[in-house]
Amino acid sequence: MLRKFGLGLLVLGLIFLWLTRPQTFDAKALSYSDPDPINGELMFHAGSCAACHAADLRGGLELHTDFGIFRVPNISPDDATGIGDWTDADFINAMLGGVSPDRKHYYPSFPYTSYARMKIQDVADLKAYIDTLPPVSHAVAGHELQFPWNVRRGIGLWKLRYLNPNPQIELPADADPLLLRGRYLAEGPGHCTECHTERDAFGGTIPQRWLAGAPNPDGEGRVPNITPDSTGLGDWSSKDIAYYLETGMDPDFDTVGGSMVKVQENLARLPAQDRQAIVAYLKAIPAKE
Amino acid sequence: MPSLNKLLLLLAVASLAPLAIASDDPADERHERMEQVGDAVGPIGGMLKGEVEFDAATVMANLMTIQEVTSGIDELFPEGSYVEGEKRATQAVWTHRADFDQKLADFNVALDTAIDAAPQNVAELQPVFKNLIDTCKACHEDYRSAGD
Repeated sequence: MLRKFGLGLLVLGLIFLWLTRPQTFDAKALSYSDPDPINGELMFHAGSCAACHAADLRGGLELHTDFGIFRVPNISPDDATGIGDWTDADFINAMLGGVSPDRKHYYPSFPYTSYARMKIQDVADLKAYIDTLPPVSHAVAGHELQFPWNVRRGIGLWKLRYLNPNPQIELPADADPLLLRGRYLAEGPGHCTECHTERDAFGGTIPQRWLAGAPNPDGEGRVPNITPDSTGLGDWSSKDIAYYLETGMDPDFDTVGGSMVKVQENLARLPAQDRQAIVAYLKAIPAKE
Repeated sequence: MPSLNKLLLLLAVASLAPLAIASDDPADERHERMEQVGDAVGPIGGMLKGEVEFDAATVMANLMTIQEVTSGIDELFPEGSYVEGEKRATQAVWTHRADFDQKLADFNVALDTAIDAAPQNVAELQPVFKNLIDTCKACHEDYRSAGD
C-alpha cells in the first residue's frame, strides 16, 4: 500500500516536472536577419522598457503586490549585474518564453505574456539597441514572495494556462495593415493589457475583460477602461486618442497621470503612423462596460 | 456715524467673506482649484490641437487665471487632509512632501516663463506650453491616483 502510494507520488512528481519544464527555442533553429538597432529603438519605446527598468535600465523598482515584492532587474548591458553577457537566444527566450539563461521560469511580473506575441526579428533588434546603451553596474536583490508563489517551477503550470502567443483580438489576415500594425504594437511590445485588463485569482488577465480597466496594480485608484464603451474611450475621437498619446492631454485638456506618464512619453517618440495604428486598434476592439 | 451694531455687522461680514469663497474642506477646495485650472488650460490646449483659433489675449488671460487659481495651493495640502478615494491626491503627497513641493515650484517657474514669453502665435506658444504641461504631468505621475 505504502509502496503504491510512493509510486503514485513519484508519477505525479514526474508529471509535474514534465508539465512545468522551462521550454526554450533551439538557438540553431532561430532565424532572423542582422539585427537593426534603429528598429530596436522603436521597439524599446513601444515597450516602454525604461518605464519599469529605469531611464538607464539599472532596475531596482519594487512592485508591491498580493503575491509579495517583485524587484525589477537591471537590463543594462553590464556583464556582471545586467544582461551584457546574454546571447541573442538568451534574450529571445526571456522575451518570448519567459525563461532565463539558466533555464528557469521568470515571474509574469515581467510581461512576457505580451512579448510572446512579438516577432523574433523585433526582439533581436531590441537587444541590438540595448547593447548600444551604456552598461550600469547595479546589483538588484531578488523577489520576495510568499508560498506557494515562491516555487518558481510552478510558473510552468501557470504558463500552460496563460501563456499564448496568438493575438487576442482576431482579425482577418487581409485586414487594414494599419489595424494589424496597431494590434501588434498594442498586444505585443506595448503590453497595454498588463495594466488595463482585470486579472483572475491566479494573476492571469481575463480575456472577456480585455482592456476594460482594472484596479491599479501599484497604487491608488483604477486603471481606466480603454475600450470604445461609453465608460471607456467611447466619447473620444480618433484624433483625441492620437493627441493624448502624443501630448498626454485628454479631450478635457486634463493631463495623463500615474504610471501612464512615462508610457505616454515613450509612445510620443514613435512615428505618428504607429500611434495612428494603436488608435485604429483601440477603435476596433469590443466595447466592454 | 454708524451705530456700533452696524459696525459689528460690517466686521462680521468682512471676516466671513474669505470663508464664503473658500470651502473649509481643503480636499474639496484643492479639487475645485484643479478643475478651474483645467477650465483655463482648455482653450489654450484647443489652440494647439487646432480646434480653436489662436488668440494671444486669451492665452495671456488664461495663463493669468491659472496663476491666480494656483497661488498658495500648497497650503491646501495640510497634514492629515488625505481623503481615500475620489479626491485623487495620493498619500505620497504627504510621505514625499519635499518632492511634492519641489514639483509645485517647478510648475510655478514654468508658468512664469510662459507668462513672460507672452506668445504671439502657435509656434511661440507650443514650447512654453509643453514645458508647463510637463510640470503638471510630473506631479500627476506620483501625486494623483489613477482614475477612470
